[in-house]
Amino acid sequence: MGARQRFVISLAEVRDTDEPLVGGKAARLATLSRAGFAVPDGFCLTIEAYQRFLTSAHLGDMIRMELGRKAFGDLRWEEIWDASLRIRSAFAAAAVPAEIASEIADAMGGFPLETHWAVRSTAPGEDSSQRSFAGLHDSYLGVMGFTPVLDAVRLVWASLWSDAAMLYRLELALDPGRSSMAVLLQPMRNEPVSGVAFGRDPVEFRADHALIEAVPGLCAGLVDGEVEPDRWRLKRFTGEVLDYRPGTRENDGPSLPLLEDAHLVSLSKTLGNVESLLGWPPDLEWTGRGDKLTLLQARPITSPAASSDDKKAYYLTLRPGMDRLRVLQHRVADELIPELEAIGKRLASEPLEEWSDEQLAAALEERLAEVRRWRQIYRDDFIPFAHGVRRLAVYYNDAVRPEDPYEFVGLLRGEPLLAVRRNVAIAALANQVRSSAALKDLVSRAALETGHDPQIWKKGLLEQLRRLPEGGSFADRLAALLEEFLDIAYNTERLSDRPDLILHNILELARAAGSGPQQPLAPAGSLPGSVLEERLMEAVGSDRHEEAREVLALGRISWRLRDNDNLLLARVESQLLRAVHLAAGRLERASRLERGTRVSENAAAVLIEALRRPSAGAVMLPAAEESEKAIPAAALEETPRQLVGQPAAPGMQTGRVRRIRTAEDLGQFQAGEVLVCDAIQPMVTHLVPLAAAVVERRGGMLIHGAIIARELGLPCVNGVAGAIELLHDGDIVTVDGYLGIVTVGAPEFDLELADVAGNTGSRESRKGV
Amino acid sequence: MSTPDDVPNGKRLAASQDTPDEERPASVRIRRLLMEQGYAILCTQSQSQPYGSLVAFAASDDLKTIVFATPVTTRKYRLLTECEHVALVVDSRSIFPSDMMRIEAVTATGRARVVGTGTEFDCWAGLLTARHPHLAAFVRSQSSALVCVEVVRYLHVCRFQEVRQWVPGSAS
Repeated sequence: MGARQRFVISLAEVRDTDEPLVGGKAARLATLSRAGFAVPDGFCLTIEAYQRFLTSAHLGDMIRMELGRKAFGDLRWEEIWDASLRIRSAFAAAAVPAEIASEIADAMGGFPLETHWAVRSTAPGEDSSQRSFAGLHDSYLGVMGFTPVLDAVRLVWASLWSDAAMLYRLELALDPGRSSMAVLLQPMRNEPVSGVAFGRDPVEFRADHALIEAVPGLCAGLVDGEVEPDRWRLKRFTGEVLDYRPGTRENDGPSLPLLEDAHLVSLSKTLGNVESLLGWPPDLEWTGRGDKLTLLQARPITSPAASSDDKKAYYLTLRPGMDRLRVLQHRVADELIPELEAIGKRLASEPLEEWSDEQLAAALEERLAEVRRWRQIYRDDFIPFAHGVRRLAVYYNDAVRPEDPYEFVGLLRGEPLLAVRRNVAIAALANQVRSSAALKDLVSRAALETGHDPQIWKKGLLEQLRRLPEGGSFADRLAALLEEFLDIAYNTERLSDRPDLILHNILELARAAGSGPQQPLAPAGSLPGSVLEERLMEAVGSDRHEEAREVLALGRISWRLRDNDNLLLARVESQLLRAVHLAAGRLERASRLERGTRVSENAAAVLIEALRRPSAGAVMLPAAEESEKAIPAAALEETPRQLVGQPAAPGMQTGRVRRIRTAEDLGQFQAGEVLVCDAIQPMVTHLVPLAAAVVERRGGMLIHGAIIARELGLPCVNGVAGAIELLHDGDIVTVDGYLGIVTVGAPEFDLELADVAGNTGSRESRKGV
Repeated sequence: MSTPDDVPNGKRLAASQDTPDEERPASVRIRRLLMEQGYAILCTQSQSQPYGSLVAFAASDDLKTIVFATPVTTRKYRLLTECEHVALVVDSRSIFPSDMMRIEAVTATGRARVVGTGTEFDCWAGLLTARHPHLAAFVRSQSSALVCVEVVRYLHVCRFQEVRQWVPGSAS
């Protein structure tokens, strides 16, 4: 037997050599305390406690299963978030071993019963001048009572596996499996002012400047970036103030600086003394002023060279706080989405076809600028706001502790997604076709045609439809569908220019048995949203109902808009493509561009120039971007049997593969096929109701394909690496949405039992089995 | 990943007595191997074609039953439902990778049956997930089947070719 494991160590007992056991934060605070700096007393849960917890709850295997599904570097961010959520749920539900719980109780017993605790992460060996995990691991403040403290400890341990922390480790090429976590527990200090202090200016890293920031109350808002602090730039050691910038206060009125000169001098001296002790200019977290000054943390300042390279700042935006989400909600829901919708409609209504070349060039320029602007907004606002639903996930799971970490999805069911509305509109057209032989006949003939001029063809079709007794309403609905929902582009083709594709889909829906309007279906065994909402309210208690309702409302809006923003942005992109196609057509007719040249939006700049210089001669377009990925050599030689992904929507179905890679593929899709694609984009969602199941390369429980499949009750496996390359049209596959497995072919011994001259077991043989 | 292992898979369990291994009855050595190792090769067959696959298993205390789970989409599931006669092989290669003479192997032959829902399912699923807790969701998935093999006979192999038979329920 080895030495007895040390689960709990009092901060006063921690030695310099204990950092591997208690983490950098605790070890440095202990050093400061021994040197006479004011540091709150407290105790540490060592990494041995973490490892014992992991062992007793069998969490090591669970983590290995989550992260071993494919190479860690191949996991997309959404998949890492999903893994992180499941790991967090498992940690939250696991029992803390009795021996550890008992030692925590003993340690807490040395403090008054009403103590409010700060439960903080302290991971060994992760903060240095080259990297900082500040903000990536969680801390919980103001925790009171034994059970809440144990809960907080579990969540601090789980934060070792937060999405942001895992991504940062991936960035730094650190093995996630070698990470460990200690926890520091200290009584909270309730001082009127707190802040941070840097021994060097962390922005310009000037050796002769220090920086101090202060906020009222606790430091948490400052560390999370949610509160604008008072800020002083000082001369090091002397404390002479070089400049001061006041922060914002809740009451917005004029306010005095939070620190006086004497406080600044004292903090400045402390910075110097800590630097002398530790040997490096510190990044301090402090609370209280004057003789109440207490140090909460000291770590090396991350050098500008290191911080400019790493993406930690970006990873931190992946977990916006409630304040940031509130701001985003207002901006996205009330301003951006209506604006994006209005722009799409305005661009669609512009009669480009009647405009001069100069006007068309100006329109192209505007559309290109709009697309670029909205793509930036998509990254800066829409994606961060999408975290509202993730915030809801964590909130619900923390409160309710459900067995299934995705139970919260039931709270989002029935939200009026644009994609669902579109599918209902398509299903209504299919019902009309089914009930009228004449309509079916006309639509079937029209679906086989692709006119040279889509506008003329579309007009002709609508006129023919209107001549039929039942055709008027169909024509109106079809025109509305094309305008409202299919003004989107797939690679270089606008779907509104290809009504034949959607007519194929409508005919398929009409042919498929039982195709009524698709109503969102609750997966078998799932609970109604109202029950889950009651469960949430009961779990949080009446004091927090208002907070819970806000998180819920924000999550629902975030969920709905996450789908809608894609469709609305796709319309603006489609309107850019419309102008691009029109410009290319004019240049072709002027013999300045080769007929039939495939043009995409990357030709826009050249086309603008060419329209404005009619005498400039032939136009040379940049090469079109290749969207098709090269097929790995192995894929040509190997025959997949089982592909593994993430179980994104429950159910199991067998069907033939149909890969969707181009607009043309959309029209080929037949009811009952298994939809295989890179990702379900807005231009593909309307096929999902026709599909038996969905397989995507891109992974995530909350991405479009998973959302829509779950709404329709179809099995979905996503995150399947090589799905497009390894599967082929016509392959028989069984999609197991419970386990995340795609099985290819039937399980007969077609190769082993074949005669020598016959079957070779090649790809061809898979289709017939 | 270096997170600590929580099951003794692949590790030699400490002997409870001082009796040399070779003097122990086959049943004792079989039990130890089945408790040490968490994975077995399942042998199935169809149309004279044998098939092998790796399964995570647990054995009942009386060693009369071995339980494992499999997705219903797999070849092994199809084969064992077509032919109930199966075998399982468990060995200690991972403990003694460079010393063939110390490797032990156990072959269990018997009949496989899929366990339906209800108390019996809960009992066997509990045994399996106690041994492999991280497989709890897999075992209870709607697309998985829980399979019990009623063991007819064990064959214990050591020292390369030394083979002993033991029928569970009989004295060794």
